[in-house]
Amino acid sequence: MGLILLPALAFVAALFLGRYGVRIEETVRVLLGLDGPSDVFRALILRVRLPRTLAAACIGANLSVVGAAFQGMFRNPLVDSRILGVSSGAAFGAALALLITNQTMVVQTGAFTFALLAIGLVMLIGLRLGSTPLVLVIGGILVGALFNSLLGLIKYVADPLSTLPAITYWMLGGLNGTSWSALPPLLVITTLGMTFFMLLRWRLNLLTVTDTEATALGIHVRPMRTIVIAIGTLMIAASVALAGMIGWIGLAVPHVARAWVGPDHGKLIPASAVLGATVLILLDTIARTALPSEIPLGILTGLIGVPAFFVLFLRFLKARGEGR
Amino acid sequence: MNRIWIAAVIVSLLAFAGIAQSDIAVLDQTGQTVSIPQPVERLASVYGIGTFYVYALGAADRLVTAYYVGVKGLANASEAMFRWEPRLDDILSFGDPNVEELAASDAQVVLADGARHAAFAEQMAYVGIPVVQYLVETPEELKEAMVLTGDFLGADAQARATVFIADYDRVFDTVARDLADLGEEERVRVLFLGTSLTTVASGDMFQSHLIAAAGGQSVANDLLGYWNEVNLEQILLWDPEVIVIPPYGPVQPSDILENPDWTAIDAVKTGRVHRMPRVIGPMDTPVPESLLGIVWMAKLFYSDLVSLNLEEEVTRFYSFYYGFVLTDEEVEYLISP
Repeated sequence: MGLILLPALAFVAALFLGRYGVRIEETVRVLLGLDGPSDVFRALILRVRLPRTLAAACIGANLSVVGAAFQGMFRNPLVDSRILGVSSGAAFGAALALLITNQTMVVQTGAFTFALLAIGLVMLIGLRLGSTPLVLVIGGILVGALFNSLLGLIKYVADPLSTLPAITYWMLGGLNGTSWSALPPLLVITTLGMTFFMLLRWRLNLLTVTDTEATALGIHVRPMRTIVIAIGTLMIAASVALAGMIGWIGLAVPHVARAWVGPDHGKLIPASAVLGATVLILLDTIARTALPSEIPLGILTGLIGVPAFFVLFLRFLKARGEGR
Repeated sequence: MNRIWIAAVIVSLLAFAGIAQSDIAVLDQTGQTVSIPQPVERLASVYGIGTFYVYALGAADRLVTAYYVGVKGLANASEAMFRWEPRLDDILSFGDPNVEELAASDAQVVLADGARHAAFAEQMAYVGIPVVQYLVETPEELKEAMVLTGDFLGADAQARATVFIADYDRVFDTVARDLADLGEEERVRVLFLGTSLTTVASGDMFQSHLIAAAGGQSVANDLLGYWNEVNLEQILLWDPEVIVIPPYGPVQPSDILENPDWTAIDAVKTGRVHRMPRVIGPMDTPVPESLLGIVWMAKLFYSDLVSLNLEEEVTRFYSFYYGFVLTDEEVEYLISP
């Protein structure tokens, strides 16, 4: 229960913080549906900050949980939630949609659809060549590269005055266009995905050993791995579709969580969810508050994630007796 | 012997005069001195905004290939553009400029964007075609660009550039005079959106200069760096009285007026959300039509105070500068807020 406090506190703080000065008392009155605050305040809290902060919490948790699961499953600490080409597929889908329209729902649908297509291609490669972690990672790299090339083509034909900047901005990641109408798919998928990972988190420990060992322990490795990838991909696709490319959360947060609670997925998964939600809520609050212009979330996660990861790396080397 | 010397001097002077008449040196807006052969009979424009200068200066028949701002293919071009430029099929081009294609077109000079085409200009120099580069982000720079273009397109073009400057100054001065009694706090607060609901024009963009010329004040004046991404909270903080949507991109007034997230904004409460019209050039960009953009916005902000007649201005502009006769529907479309 104590873990829940962290994102809860961040969530509440995010509702109070922003460029538009809002008194705590008025915020509370808005949240409780009481009379008093103006229409502007109500719109600000209920229609701007609340959906956006909720999205940040869901996306931060999704990226971190899937990152933790994939790092264990692929037995590779440098894997993040986007290893299987999902983000590249989503970026291509979003860019393709942006060529036609700026409507958020269409862009999100395009991103989501092509994210699933990307993972579908990876799974097909796995089906043909054996769904070992190596094959899946290589497949993800190839599919990612393919969609990156196609994305380059989109950027080439895009109008440099309007569409190209929109694509570039989308790829930097951000939640400034989030509204209640865009949230349902993310909320549903986050709920289902988190439920799955929470219920099966102890079993994920068994995927961190070799396939032979896992099978000997009674785990049906391939179906289990396939399901984890499928559910994880849905969560990533829904997150990227709404927020664009947000890096480092899926890579760095699981490591921080691991340093906090250890490698046991029984604790690692909830810790990653809590930390990921908290970090992204805080970074999104900075993104919308620090300047009049919106700071792309992907820039902030990189600026924070890289030093954090470096510190962890130094600790890792020290623990192994390497480095000074 | 003396006669030979005199003849040699006369021939040299004639030859020098011949050379002086065949080239003119202009200083472009990136500070480069460009030598342009005269008279210019074939020119190309890879600067989608500069193409409209050529039309306004009466030299469009000399274009061999042209970019038009916001038009990335014939499918993008409006029906009016096809009536305005019957050769559009043949001369329309877009994308990154191709040096070989332009060399093959036999263009004598190329108009280019100083912000993006420096490397291209260098390459064109290798094939012996001069490139005039433009940097236009204020009304003053627009006027300079028109004068610069007129300088190498001949006497008629120069005269038209002079007329254009006088027209531009007339509009500026008339609006300023009509609104002279308005205090700063009475100036209409305007938000100029881009191609999405949260993209706004910054203070150093041409659009913000037009708003100021029209007597308004851009709420995003403090922002710098071309188009900026903001969020709805910032827009609520600004609380603009008028929202202007550019004549390109997918955003329509209904996207804002019917959006429940925007209802608390003053402009939405009063229904003052307007999309700029466009028949040929987008009048919020540094094309000659921006003169009409000022009039359109000034009438939008202060319909009772500004004495300019929008209908007369649009009819006269398209007729004189573009040789284009608007239909009644087009006039109605242009003058409706």
